[in-house]
Amino acid sequence: MVMAIKIGLEIHCQLTGLQSKLFCSCHCDYRDREPNSNVCPICYGLPGTLPLLNQKALEFSSMISFALGCKIPSKILFYRKNYFYLDLPKNFQITQYNAYGITSIGVDGKLEYGDGKCARIRRVQLEEDPGRLVYGESNIDRSFYTLIDYNRAGVPLVEIITEPDFTDPKDVRIFLNKITSAIEHLGVCNTRLEGSVRCDANISIEGGKRVEIKNIGSFRETEKALNYEITRQKTMSIHEIEIKAETRHWDDSRKVTKQARAKEEEQDYRYFPEPDIPTVILGNEFLSSLKTKIPELPDDRKSRFIKDYRLSEHVSQVLIDNKELADFFESAVKIYSSPKEIANWIVSELMRVMDVNHHKYSKEERSLFSDLKVEPKHIAELAKLVDQNTINRNTAKKILNQIIKNGEMPAQLVEEANASTIDDSKVISEAIESIFKSEESAVKDARQNPNAANFLLGKIMQLTKGRVDPQIALDLIKKKLIETN
Amino acid sequence: MTKLYCLSAGEVTTGIKNLDFSAEEYIFQILERIEKIDVKINAFTTVNKNCALNTARSIDKKIRDEEKNIGPLAGVAIGIKDNICTRGLKTTCASKMLEEYVPPYDATVVKKLKDSDAIIIGKLNLDEFAMGSTTEYSRHGSTRNPWNIDCVPGGSSGGSAASVAASECAVSLGSDTGGSVRCPASFCSVVGLKPTYGCVSRFGLISYANSLEQIGPMGKTVSDVVLVMNSIAGMDDNDQTTIFGVPNYRVQPKKNIRVGLVKELVEGADDEISKCIYNAMDLFAKSDCKCEEISMKSIEYALASYYTIATAEASSNLARYDNIRYGFDSSPDTYEMNTYFAKVRSNFGEEVKRRIIIGSYVLSSGYYGKYYMKAQKIRSLLKQEITSLYKKYDVLITPTMPVLPFKFGEKIDDPLKMYNIDVDTVLANLTGIPAISIPAGFSKGLPIGLQIMANESQEQTLFDAASLFESTANVQRSPEL
Amino acid sequence: MVSNDEIKHLGWLSRLELADGEITRYASQIKEIIGYLDKLDSISLAEIEPLHSKKEFSELRKDNAVSFGADVLGLANKRKDGFVKGPRMV
Repeated sequence: MVMAIKIGLEIHCQLTGLQSKLFCSCHCDYRDREPNSNVCPICYGLPGTLPLLNQKALEFSSMISFALGCKIPSKILFYRKNYFYLDLPKNFQITQYNAYGITSIGVDGKLEYGDGKCARIRRVQLEEDPGRLVYGESNIDRSFYTLIDYNRAGVPLVEIITEPDFTDPKDVRIFLNKITSAIEHLGVCNTRLEGSVRCDANISIEGGKRVEIKNIGSFRETEKALNYEITRQKTMSIHEIEIKAETRHWDDSRKVTKQARAKEEEQDYRYFPEPDIPTVILGNEFLSSLKTKIPELPDDRKSRFIKDYRLSEHVSQVLIDNKELADFFESAVKIYSSPKEIANWIVSELMRVMDVNHHKYSKEERSLFSDLKVEPKHIAELAKLVDQNTINRNTAKKILNQIIKNGEMPAQLVEEANASTIDDSKVISEAIESIFKSEESAVKDARQNPNAANFLLGKIMQLTKGRVDPQIALDLIKKKLIETN
Repeated sequence: MTKLYCLSAGEVTTGIKNLDFSAEEYIFQILERIEKIDVKINAFTTVNKNCALNTARSIDKKIRDEEKNIGPLAGVAIGIKDNICTRGLKTTCASKMLEEYVPPYDATVVKKLKDSDAIIIGKLNLDEFAMGSTTEYSRHGSTRNPWNIDCVPGGSSGGSAASVAASECAVSLGSDTGGSVRCPASFCSVVGLKPTYGCVSRFGLISYANSLEQIGPMGKTVSDVVLVMNSIAGMDDNDQTTIFGVPNYRVQPKKNIRVGLVKELVEGADDEISKCIYNAMDLFAKSDCKCEEISMKSIEYALASYYTIATAEASSNLARYDNIRYGFDSSPDTYEMNTYFAKVRSNFGEEVKRRIIIGSYVLSSGYYGKYYMKAQKIRSLLKQEITSLYKKYDVLITPTMPVLPFKFGEKIDDPLKMYNIDVDTVLANLTGIPAISIPAGFSKGLPIGLQIMANESQEQTLFDAASLFESTANVQRSPEL
Repeated sequence: MVSNDEIKHLGWLSRLELADGEITRYASQIKEIIGYLDKLDSISLAEIEPLHSKKEFSELRKDNAVSFGADVLGLANKRKDGFVKGPRMV
């Protein structure tokens, strides 16, 4: 039974590309620090302190708005969202709000993804992250107290809210990959850092009540949470149980959604404009300079790869999906211009040795190349050697494996290969064959005078540039002399 | 021996620099004065005795060593309202919620005062969290009016005004959200200024209503107020709402100022006060000033607009007082979060709770457009009216207060009656323009203040008019203490 | 309008524990005050923009990280391993 599904997303993206927090000069990078060691009077909420808006945060968030096709207003305002919670140092969050006119950094955008699909972006807003809570006992329901770490409080967050334009969790996954790629290309967020991007969702089935799913820790979990929730709701439907409009929490360990704890009453956030932050006038100059500051977006880069480098759509997409690969590719092509060959090496060979998917969702920040010693210059030279027929493809593959381990340049390795000792009897036999053919008289001599075999050995050495193992060669020569007598 | 504590700030700093007396001598006398007088007045919440003496000694040394960089306020004893953060010195806002709070940083104005070699003599009493007009809402007990100790000194900067009037310090800092510097200045017969919004940094001022308030100096003379302003005013990177550069105000009584008397506000005051203000207008006229009565159409909405905005902002600004990171001693162990919050926050005083509730009401779902947004639009309307008035006039004058200082307890049971005495002062906060209260006379031995308002960022014009009035009116006296 | 229940609800929103006597007293006082604030209703201001201070983009704080360098937490007596201790969540 096909059911009409509507899914909307609420994406949070930390601006890890910044140095300082949104409203103070504490480090934006809060991970792996002693608790409460990255705080100041402002982000700690001491009385008498005032928020100081970070200029670059506004720039980064407007770049995201731009990349998502949003309208950016000429004036920006911040609002207070008032509620009490232990991770909120001021018991209000400074955020953006559009109920009384457009004040957030982007509205009414859209992003195309997958096969000609498109999702509308309702708004993009800039806001501060709260602190982190740790529970006294491992089980939140049994602790006597809560421990609070404010290191993260005040870290800049961009919230991206879509219209409920999705109908399939698979589409959500593709869309999230696209957004990740865009964010990475903009350089505003390192999506590999834990917690740097998260996505909450809301879903309704067959025009039924809307269920919000919160506490989804990563993009990867979003598809799972949605699939679970769809199954849950379909099951309820079949049994004619009413689906309530509610907020549910995703339980990452048990992989289920649960009813939100206790009465999370309809909150009255009493929004009003933040008096300590003036209205920021962006102006036309800001918008036009924005266009020049924005790095190349994935779609544009892909088109350029297809057009300028004549790569296939598939190969281009693979490169674009991981910015590191695209960057690697272009660096290599700069050194030696053979785009198709280089692309091929990356897509067919390098990617086999990288665990691309694993790295995408790992906890630490790791480059795809972190276990590998290969750099663009290696691939460039390899491609050149193959193009010039100096080595054949098989040899090149072998050399690549060595490069990955020890980082030596291919030409160097080829030379070493040419200079190393040949002890492969098959290879040596081949050499002997050809010498026997060309030195008939010497062979005849050798049959009668065993010492003349040395002459033949000398010729073999000449042929193989002195690389054969002399003992093995001599043995084989003698063997052959006897055989063909 | 001269009573050094009677000297103005200007006289103190000149005297010290000229080696007429030492800073240490002066501070010693000030501390003696405080010890003798403050039991009657209760202006101080904390006296900074040892630190003040040490600072005085180091200033004396600087002067003896003929150092070049002696500050313009060298040696001057200044009191700081206890809602302005002073590093290492308790800052309580007269509230249990900050009973044990010692800030780890100085407010920008405090830092600037220290850089000017002023001496922070202590912290001054106020209505809790600056909410009130009489200093009756303080955990430290009320401050008394030096002119009549049965009467209120005004508020919320009651301690700041009373301490100056009683010569317990030469000058002081208060904060003015809806009249909290000007009201006590008027009731205590001293000069008190609310600068243009954005002129003085609010970094370190514990917020009550952040779109309305400014820190303002108080002193016995316009000259002293100007001296302090030149030290504390100016753009600050720690406050993104500050807008000016470097202050350089002068005392230059000027004639030929165009004066407008706001009819509605004079007529709304008690008779003796109206009479005094009309006399003031005559004084200006005698000094070649063109004086006219004018009417402000939208003024009747000002008080409602003020209380809507102030309570709304307060309800949010005070949310952070949950006793988790600072406050008083009360363990959170075994309590559930919301229960703990409600329990500790029950320690706010009644007026504060009342304003928080009203503020939550006017911001709550469904009411935002009706109250808060409307109130903010009234501000624009008032601003428009003010702007066109200032095309024709240099300053506007009104009484500072519609009533004389009254007895303790007289208005405390009727909050709305209390709020109504702010009717003359809220206009300047709503529109951001600078306003000063200057002693204008007495009735039944109780002080009357004249309020002068200039256009946005026209502090110099304000000082010109104020010093003109001061020199012609000759009201200054000292209370007998 | 401003009933005892409303005051109770607002008390909850603001996390203020109010005794019954307080609720009654506040209700009548606040009713009077809100009645006064209703004055704002009598004037139509559709075309007016609300007042808010303004700043140019270029005047905002530059993105430099600087550690505060002094102890900010000193005031929280309730600490455990560097964390700040708070009441339980549930």
